Amino acid sequence: MANVDRREFLKLVGAGSVGVGAGYLLAESIKHPVEHLIPYSVPPEEFSPGIATWYNSVCGMCPAGCGISVRTREGRAKKIEGNPAHPVNQGRLCALGQAGLQTLYNPDRITAPMLLQGKRGNDAFVETTWKEGLANVSGRLGVPGVATVVLSQGVRGQLANLLELFTAELGSAELLHYDFAHPHTLYAANERLFGQQQLPYYDIANTRYLMSFGADFLNNWLSPVHHSLGFGHSRQGGDAQRLRFVQIEPKMSISGAAADEWVAARPGSEGVLALGIAHQILAGGRYSGSDADDWTAALADYSPELVAEQSGVAAATIVRLADEFAQAKPALAIGGGSAANNSNGTDTLVAVTALNYLVGNIGQAGGLIFNPDPVTGPSASSRRANYEVMRDLAEAAQQGVVDVLIVNNTNPLFTLPTAAGFKEALASIPLIVSLSSFMDETTAMADVILPSHTYLESWGDDVPQPGVGFSVAAVSQPVVAPLYNTRSTGDILLGLASNLGFRDAIPWTTMEECIKDGWREIHARGEPGSGDFDSFWHDVLQSGVWGEDVRQQQDATVSKEVIDNIGVAAPEFAGDVGDYPFVLHPFMSTSMYDGRGANLPWMQELPDPITSVVYGSWLEMNPATADKMGLQDGDLVQVASMQGSVEVPVVIFPAIMPDVVAMPIGQGHESLGRYARNRGANPIQILAPVTDPVSGALATGATRVSVVATGRRAPAVKTGGESRQLGRDIVRFTSTTSDATEHSAKLNSIPISVEPA
Amino acid sequence: MNVSIVPTLRVLRPAATVALVGLIGIIAGFYANATLFTDTSPEQPIAFSHKIHAGDNEVPCLYCHVQARRSISAGVPSVNKCMGCHLEVATDRPQIRLLANYWDTKEPIPWIKVHDLPDFVHFTHKRHVQAGIECQTCHGPVETMAVVSREAPLKMGLCLNCHKDNAVENGTDCWTCHK
Repeated sequence: MANVDRREFLKLVGAGSVGVGAGYLLAESIKHPVEHLIPYSVPPEEFSPGIATWYNSVCGMCPAGCGISVRTREGRAKKIEGNPAHPVNQGRLCALGQAGLQTLYNPDRITAPMLLQGKRGNDAFVETTWKEGLANVSGRLGVPGVATVVLSQGVRGQLANLLELFTAELGSAELLHYDFAHPHTLYAANERLFGQQQLPYYDIANTRYLMSFGADFLNNWLSPVHHSLGFGHSRQGGDAQRLRFVQIEPKMSISGAAADEWVAARPGSEGVLALGIAHQILAGGRYSGSDADDWTAALADYSPELVAEQSGVAAATIVRLADEFAQAKPALAIGGGSAANNSNGTDTLVAVTALNYLVGNIGQAGGLIFNPDPVTGPSASSRRANYEVMRDLAEAAQQGVVDVLIVNNTNPLFTLPTAAGFKEALASIPLIVSLSSFMDETTAMADVILPSHTYLESWGDDVPQPGVGFSVAAVSQPVVAPLYNTRSTGDILLGLASNLGFRDAIPWTTMEECIKDGWREIHARGEPGSGDFDSFWHDVLQSGVWGEDVRQQQDATVSKEVIDNIGVAAPEFAGDVGDYPFVLHPFMSTSMYDGRGANLPWMQELPDPITSVVYGSWLEMNPATADKMGLQDGDLVQVASMQGSVEVPVVIFPAIMPDVVAMPIGQGHESLGRYARNRGANPIQILAPVTDPVSGALATGATRVSVVATGRRAPAVKTGGESRQLGRDIVRFTSTTSDATEHSAKLNSIPISVEPA
Repeated sequence: MNVSIVPTLRVLRPAATVALVGLIGIIAGFYANATLFTDTSPEQPIAFSHKIHAGDNEVPCLYCHVQARRSISAGVPSVNKCMGCHLEVATDRPQIRLLANYWDTKEPIPWIKVHDLPDFVHFTHKRHVQAGIECQTCHGPVETMAVVSREAPLKMGLCLNCHKDNAVENGTDCWTCHK
C-alpha cells in the first residue's frame, strides 16, 4: 500500500464515499415508514380504537329488505352480516348482500355532482358544487307547467312518502317506481282472487308439501334468504316430517336442483297444469267448501288427459301430484319466475294460488298468510310501473311531452327491451337528472348528475315486501361517514324542495328528521305511557327493527265471478316456430340480480351454482338439441329474435327442455364501471314486447329465438370440470334394477377426451 | 492441469482494493444510519414529557391509554382528554399553548409512532395487560423519559423468550402472532 499514487488515492476515496452513501440509503430503505397516531379531538361516544362497533341497518341490494349488521372499525365498514333480530332474514344474508361493501368502496362511484358539457352520452361531465347542481335542476323545475316524470327504483317507507309529496308539489308531475323484477303478475293475481293489495306471506317453514310453479324461491324470488331459511327448517328442522318439494319449470333452477321431483311443463302451460291439479282435487271430492259446485263447473274442461296434452306432463303424473298435494297437510303452492313471465302470467298465478284455497291453507300455518298494510309509507303496489307504463312513458317522451326526467337509482336503459324505445325517448327529453351512485347506462345519458349515497351512508326506513305475516318495519342508518361528496336521495329531494319553496308541504331539512317523523306514528301505535319517543327511537336504532304481533284478518272468500272466469289461455309467443324454433328463457342469476350486481368483483367471481360458469354470458341448451344441431359446449352462437341478436357460447345443460334455451340476465353492460363493462351479453335487449294484458307486465319468457352457429369457439369459463365420471369410477353406485346398472355402466364408459387447443 | 491464480490476483489487486474500501463504506454507512440517525426517538409535534406525567406526577399509564386493557390497541388519548387537565394546569407553558391551539382549531395532533410492529404481527394489548405484564416490559422505563425512545428491540426473539419464560399456552405457535 506504500505506493498509492494520487490517482489511486482518489479512486479509493470515491469508492469509500459511494459505499457510505449506499449503506446509508440501504439502512434507510429497510426502516419502518413513519406512522402517525392520530387521536380524535373529541372521540364519538363509546368509541375505542381496535374495537369493532356493529350497526344495524337495512340491506339495499335487492327489494327483499333484509336486516343487516355492519361491523365497523375506526369509522370504516368492514363486514356485513344479517341482523339476527330481523324476522325476514334472522341473521342470514345472501351473496349479493355480503357484497354491499363493494358498492360502498367501489372505485367507479360518482364522487361529486356533475354537469354535462357538450353532447349527451360522450361521458363529458364536469364536476360542480351541490349548490349549483341543485339550482340548475330546481331552476328548470320551477318553470310553471313543466312536465316532469320522477322515475325511481322501487322504494318504500318515508322516502316513498317524500317522493309522493315532492311530485304532488311539483304539480304537473308523475311518480313512477320501476324495478325490472317487480312481481306485477303476483300482485294482480292476489288482488283478483282475494282482493288483497299486499303480497301474502308464504309459510314455507311449516309446510309439508311444497309445489312451486317456476318460482326460484331459493335464488331470487321475492325474499330468497327468508325462503331458504324456511326451506331449511321444513326440510331438516328437527322432529317434523320432512318437506316434500316439487318444482315445475322448463329449465332447472337452483330451487329445482333442490327438489324431490322436477317436472318440465311446456312454457306457459303451468297455469293449465295447476287447473288440472285443481280439477283432480275436486274430482276426488277433497274440497268440501260451499262453492265446490262452482269450482267443479269452472274446471270441467281441465281433466288430466286434456291438460296432459297441453302441458306435456303425463296424465298419471298430474293425478299423482294432485293426490299428494291434497293429502299432505298443510300443502303450499307458489308461483312466479318462469310460470309468471308469459302472456298469461296473471291467469297462471291465479290458478296456482287457487290451489291453496282449495286445500284450505289460507291463514293457516304452512299455508298462505295475508300481510297487514305497511305501517309506514304508501301502499306497496302504488305507482309501480309495469312494462306498459314504461312503454307509454317512452312514447310520450318521443312525442315531446316530457320536459324533465328525474331518475333515482334505476336503470331502464339496461332492463327494458330495445323494443320499448327508451333510448330514443331519452333523446327527446330536454333535461335528464340522475341521482345514481354509479355511471350506469341511463345515468350516462343524463344532463345533470346529483349522486346519491349508497345505502350504507344513508338514513332510511323500510317495510319488507312481502312481509312475514305481521307488521314489521326497519330503520336504515348510516354506518360510515359519506366517502365522497354525495348526498342521500332523500336529502337531494329536500334540497330541491327547499329551492322550490315547498316548505309548507315538506317541512324537513334533513332526511334523518323526515324518517324520525314517520317513526313517531309507529311509536304512537304502542301502548300509551310505554316510554317517550327518544328512548323508543334509541331502541329501534339499536335493534334495527320493529315488529308488532298483530295478524291481518285471514278470512278468504273467492267471488263466484272470479271462479266462473277462471281459466288460462294458451300463451302467446313472438316469432314464428319455423324461423325461431326455441323459446328463450332469460333467468335472473343469484349474483347479478337484474344486472345491478355486475359492477361488484365478488359477484363477477361467483360461479353460477348450476353450471359453474363464471364471468360472461352463456346459452344453456339441451344435449339432444345440441347434438342435432352439431353444436358443442363452447361453440359461439348467434341468438336472434325478431328484435335483435346477441352472441354467446353454448353450455350444454341436461336439465332444460329440448325446445327451450336459457340465458342469464345481468351481464352485457355498456356502462356501470370497469368490472361490468363489455362483458357478456344482455338477453333483455332482444326480448319481444309481449305483455301479460292483465297486469301489464313484460312477458319475459314469450320470445322465440333462432340459434345459429358462428363457426367460432369461445368456451365459457367454468370452475367445475366435467359433470360425468368418464371412466374414473369416482362415485360407485348400484341399483336393484338392471336399467340403472346399465345407465351407470354407460355413464362410466364415456372416455376422457382432451380437446386439442 | 496446474494453474496458478497469482497472475489473476495481480491484475485484480487495484480493483479488489477499491471494492474492499467500497464494502467497508457500505457497512459504515449502514451502521451510521442505524445508530446515529435512529428513528427510536422521533421529534413529536408537541414535546410531551412522559417523565413529568407518568414519573413526577405518577399518572397511571392506563389513565391516558385507557383502551389498553380492552382493545388490541392502547390508543392515544383524545385531545379533549388532555384538555381535561390542561384547561387548568400549566396553561402558560408554550407546549401547552400548542396543545390548546390544536384544541381550539379542533385539529388532531399528528403524533409519530415510536413503538410499531409490522402488519404481519398480530399483537393485542388487551391480553398482555390483563395477564399483568407491566407496560415497561416492552416499552422500557417510559416514566423516566422526557422524550420517549424505543428501548426494547421489538423483534420476534423478545416475544418468544417472554412467551417461553412464562410458559404461555401455544406461546411459540406461529399462528399465535402471525394470523
